[in-house]
Amino acid sequence: MSDLDRQIEQLKKCEPLKESEVKALCLKAMEILVEESNVQRVDAPVTICGDIHGQFYDMKELFKVGGDCPKTNYLFLGDFVDRGFYSVETFLLLLALKVRYPDRITLIRGNHESRQITQVYGFYDECLRKYGSVNVWRYCTDIFDYLSLSALIENKIFSVHGGLSPAISTLDQIRTIDRKQEVPHDGAMCDLLWSDPEDIVDGWGLSPRGAGFLFGGSVVTSFNRSNNIDYICRAHQLVMEGYKWMFNSQIVTVWSAPNYCYRCGNVAAILELDENLNKQFRVFDAAPQESRGTPAKKPAPDYFL
Amino acid sequence: MGAQEKSQANANSMQRVKVYRLNDDGKWDDQGTGHVTVDYLEVCLIPLPDIGWRSEELGLFVIDEDDNETILLHRISPDDIYRKQEDTIISWRDPEYSTELALSFQETTGCSYIWDNICNVQRNLNFNSLNSETFHSMNSELRELPAVELSTLPLILKTLTESGIADQMRLTELILNDQEFFRKLMDLFRICEDLENIDNLHMIFKIVKGIILLNSPQIFEKIFGDELIMDIIGSLEYDPEVPHVQHHRIFLKEHVVFKEAIPIKDLLVLSKIHQTYRVGYLKDVVLARVLDESIVANLNSIIHGNNAIVVSLLKDDSTFIQELFARLRSPTTSAESKKNLVYFLHEFCSLSKSLQMVQQLRLFRDLMNEGIFDIITDALQSQDKKLVLTGTDILILFLNQDPNLLRSFVVRQEGVSLLGLLVKGMITDFGDDMHCQFLEILRSLLDSYTLSGAQRDTIIEIFYEKHLGQLIEVITASCPPKGIAQSIGESGGTESTKPEILSNICELLCFCVLHHPYRIKCNFLLNNVMDKVLLLTQRREKYLVVATVRFVRTILSRHDEHLINHIVKNNLLKPIVDVFVANGNRYNLLNSAVLELFEYIRKENLKALLIYIVDSFWNQLANFEYLASMQSFKVKYEQCLETSGIKSNVNSVDQRKRIDERALEKEEEDYFNEDSDEEDTASASHTERAQAQPVLSNGVAASYAALSPRSGLVDYDDDEDDEDYRPPPRKHAETSEEDEGLESLRLKRKLSSSNEKEPELVVKKQRLGKNSKSRDSVFAALCSTLSQLPTKKTGSSMQIIPRTADGNKGSGEENQQENQPEESVNTRNSDNSSSSDEENHNRENESVASRNCSDCLLSSSDNGQLSGEDCPLIAPKSSPEMAVNGS
Repeated sequence: MSDLDRQIEQLKKCEPLKESEVKALCLKAMEILVEESNVQRVDAPVTICGDIHGQFYDMKELFKVGGDCPKTNYLFLGDFVDRGFYSVETFLLLLALKVRYPDRITLIRGNHESRQITQVYGFYDECLRKYGSVNVWRYCTDIFDYLSLSALIENKIFSVHGGLSPAISTLDQIRTIDRKQEVPHDGAMCDLLWSDPEDIVDGWGLSPRGAGFLFGGSVVTSFNRSNNIDYICRAHQLVMEGYKWMFNSQIVTVWSAPNYCYRCGNVAAILELDENLNKQFRVFDAAPQESRGTPAKKPAPDYFL
Repeated sequence: MGAQEKSQANANSMQRVKVYRLNDDGKWDDQGTGHVTVDYLEVCLIPLPDIGWRSEELGLFVIDEDDNETILLHRISPDDIYRKQEDTIISWRDPEYSTELALSFQETTGCSYIWDNICNVQRNLNFNSLNSETFHSMNSELRELPAVELSTLPLILKTLTESGIADQMRLTELILNDQEFFRKLMDLFRICEDLENIDNLHMIFKIVKGIILLNSPQIFEKIFGDELIMDIIGSLEYDPEVPHVQHHRIFLKEHVVFKEAIPIKDLLVLSKIHQTYRVGYLKDVVLARVLDESIVANLNSIIHGNNAIVVSLLKDDSTFIQELFARLRSPTTSAESKKNLVYFLHEFCSLSKSLQMVQQLRLFRDLMNEGIFDIITDALQSQDKKLVLTGTDILILFLNQDPNLLRSFVVRQEGVSLLGLLVKGMITDFGDDMHCQFLEILRSLLDSYTLSGAQRDTIIEIFYEKHLGQLIEVITASCPPKGIAQSIGESGGTESTKPEILSNICELLCFCVLHHPYRIKCNFLLNNVMDKVLLLTQRREKYLVVATVRFVRTILSRHDEHLINHIVKNNLLKPIVDVFVANGNRYNLLNSAVLELFEYIRKENLKALLIYIVDSFWNQLANFEYLASMQSFKVKYEQCLETSGIKSNVNSVDQRKRIDERALEKEEEDYFNEDSDEEDTASASHTERAQAQPVLSNGVAASYAALSPRSGLVDYDDDEDDEDYRPPPRKHAETSEEDEGLESLRLKRKLSSSNEKEPELVVKKQRLGKNSKSRDSVFAALCSTLSQLPTKKTGSSMQIIPRTADGNKGSGEENQQENQPEESVNTRNSDNSSSSDEENHNRENESVASRNCSDCLLSSSDNGQLSGEDCPLIAPKSSPEMAVNGS
């Protein structure tokens, strides 16, 4: 068994890796991710997953429902970290799978894959708590910069974490973004990760999130038409039923964190596409209590103060 | 709760506040000092059939600390009227008093506690208005708790689990009023544990958990006391939902080691230390899955408060601190125990985050005076990597608090070696260990956006004098010279430098480009730094190639005419275009990064580059014309030619840049110009550029006419150069000596013999510079001769350094002249290209953690600060003089 396979097994038990292993993994991941495009091409069949937010045991449920990687081909739409208790294990498992099976799992960037956001919403603190220093956070956030911004499935389904941008009318315009940077506060790259579709908005509207835009049905229609796309698949917003179509099936939100923040009471969903792009949503619940181990974040066994 | 109880419960500095009220004159009237609580407003105590037996309205009470009078009674509003300021003030516009009121807290923790309470109440108010029945199902009989006995456990549990939010408040009160409650409950727990009565143990688990979920700080204070806490944790071992009994107490008692680097005698301190660990354990391990954010926040504030007490008691214990440093310094202390002392120092500094800013700053200053940086300097030289990294972690804590402390040490003679150790650390292979801290520390030391004047400038100067070359050297040593490149690949010794180190260097260089434009300009132009960095495009790690593209892109973002011309003259984009073309149609990060670079050139209308790129590379780039951005690039080029004369175009760019040019000394200017002419003959292909160049210089020269009698295009007067222009040549010589590659380290040690050096310099120049002509080498040789004056004095230069501030003052006039242009150029840039500025900021943000949010905001006013950075440009000039005067 290779080191990597052993690490994957370990991560599947929700045990974090050593700092040195994280470093080696990140360097390998960097070499793989640097070869990916801003609009990463993905072949069907593929299973699309929305936000995970560090809910490790619920992600294990997801794999139970959707099948293991590499047997199932996965596309994750970002927001792997923050909020949940296991951002470290969640992200490292996904990253290790990416390094092990680069062609069978695609990870794109969410708005939480950012230095600024993770310092507020938990990933930073979790790294500090679990490793005693923020080095792991530094390495992981460096990797975030390499993550692709969107994916295109069989030229027909555009997948992105947040939504559209007024600066982007064609997919080709995404190409000239140098994505290796912290998520900016505005501009195309920011919008792709932050925007939301909104029923009552006609055209573009200000986003209450403070970044990105709200966009209405007409925007989606013209984007899909000019790029010859069937529909857009995105995540970024909690939907109680796990998925939600909008604008006459031109855009769908997929949400994969059941009982979000361990208290929202929502179900989660993943979208399975077969080789003919036939859709099947798989809805699942939070992992039952018994399947969750005791939290692995034992504090250091010695202390001065 | 009556007033008496209230004041009793709150005889606590956490809740001590002053109440202020804004009077009609716009001044704040002091209304008195007292203790604040959140409690029910006693407006409606009659049991009402539908809504329970008391009002659900909660309010803020402030009871006077002297006479128990109510100073303030304020119904908490569901509206967003509250503001928290400076961590100790909560203010709002009060609808009843119809004026502004403010509470000024004695302690930040108290302020955040009340703030959290207000937020909670608001949340409940807003929730209740949505769904008001949910919380009123409670039995209205809840006037007292059943006596704590085995038989009443189910009833207690029922009371706990079935109470709504309002009743929980009442329950909390009842539990607190019963002094014996927890003692009795824990007695029962021990009995049940002895009898192995699992059912009752499960019941007690649920009761204790339910009580913790009440989230009452007063209850926490009770149950986390030394007497109760281990039993409480014990009772939480019996979670009915977890199949196996947890062994938390065994872990805490037998596995956890409390290490004492220096014995602590104060019992209060010891008790707090242990309590902190246990509460943390409870939070992170025992109840991690159960607690919600508000409970976690309350537990954190307990930990936070404890840390503050521990650190401040220890720091005020002067014998303790003295003993600590005495042992750290003593030669008889074993290496092992020194190591532990450093680890202790790290925890100590790290916990001091819980102190108030002022106190923490004072503590750090005291630690500095005790010699903590010397200790760290020693630690950084250790063979033990963990110790080295702990040393860097302490430095980061200092930098986060106040970068000037470390800066003020580094500029001192004894501190210079620390900077060297940090640079060395950054380029040292730490094997599997992470060592990104070095980069972060250096960035923080070299950050020109944080205002700190002379010290910072001196550090930047030392860095450029001694260390930049070192970094560049790592790059050149790790990249095979052109030609052999491809074949060496993975096996060659040249690959020995870890790619992450190269990538860190690249990142630091980008940072320098943004922070020290003038330093960079001189250095890059004189030492062919760009050429050397571009060697990285030959590395097989694509992320290094991409990092190199980003480096070039960062330079372009400076809009610096000299650097741009340098790029054009030396055909520096060739390696970039080569890797882009070799990458072919692969749509990857390299492809995007180069296209973005082209887009930037197009959007910013950098004509010299547009023309250079198309003229030189279109044969290769034409294959990419299927890309929209490539087409636009070509179109822009054509427009550029059409609307020409190129002349007037370049002039218009020049107008904007002209003032900037003044920043470089005249002689330097001539040197660059001269350079260009030579290059023209060398590469005939750049005809367009050759046309553009003289025009540019003319523009500059025109603006110079008034300043300098020598306004010619190309001024070859070497002798004059030598007299007037010592500083850049000195640097030139010094750094190029570092450029010598691997030998340079040895060379540097025997700096004195200039005979050795000169020939090598010449050879080097010829080897490196495509445009190396005899003039160049003569110039270089002259420089190196000249440089003997200052370089010989390297020993004494350390004493000189602090004085450069004076030197700067001396040449203040000159500085101003130089600063202004940069300011205006920057403003221009931000006007013209907000998008590019934005990106720059993002790059900066990337690295330096949250503090950078504020940097980002600041950056609109960066210009002033940036130009402040220019001062060091002058410094080299003054330091030799100072050296002469000083010695």
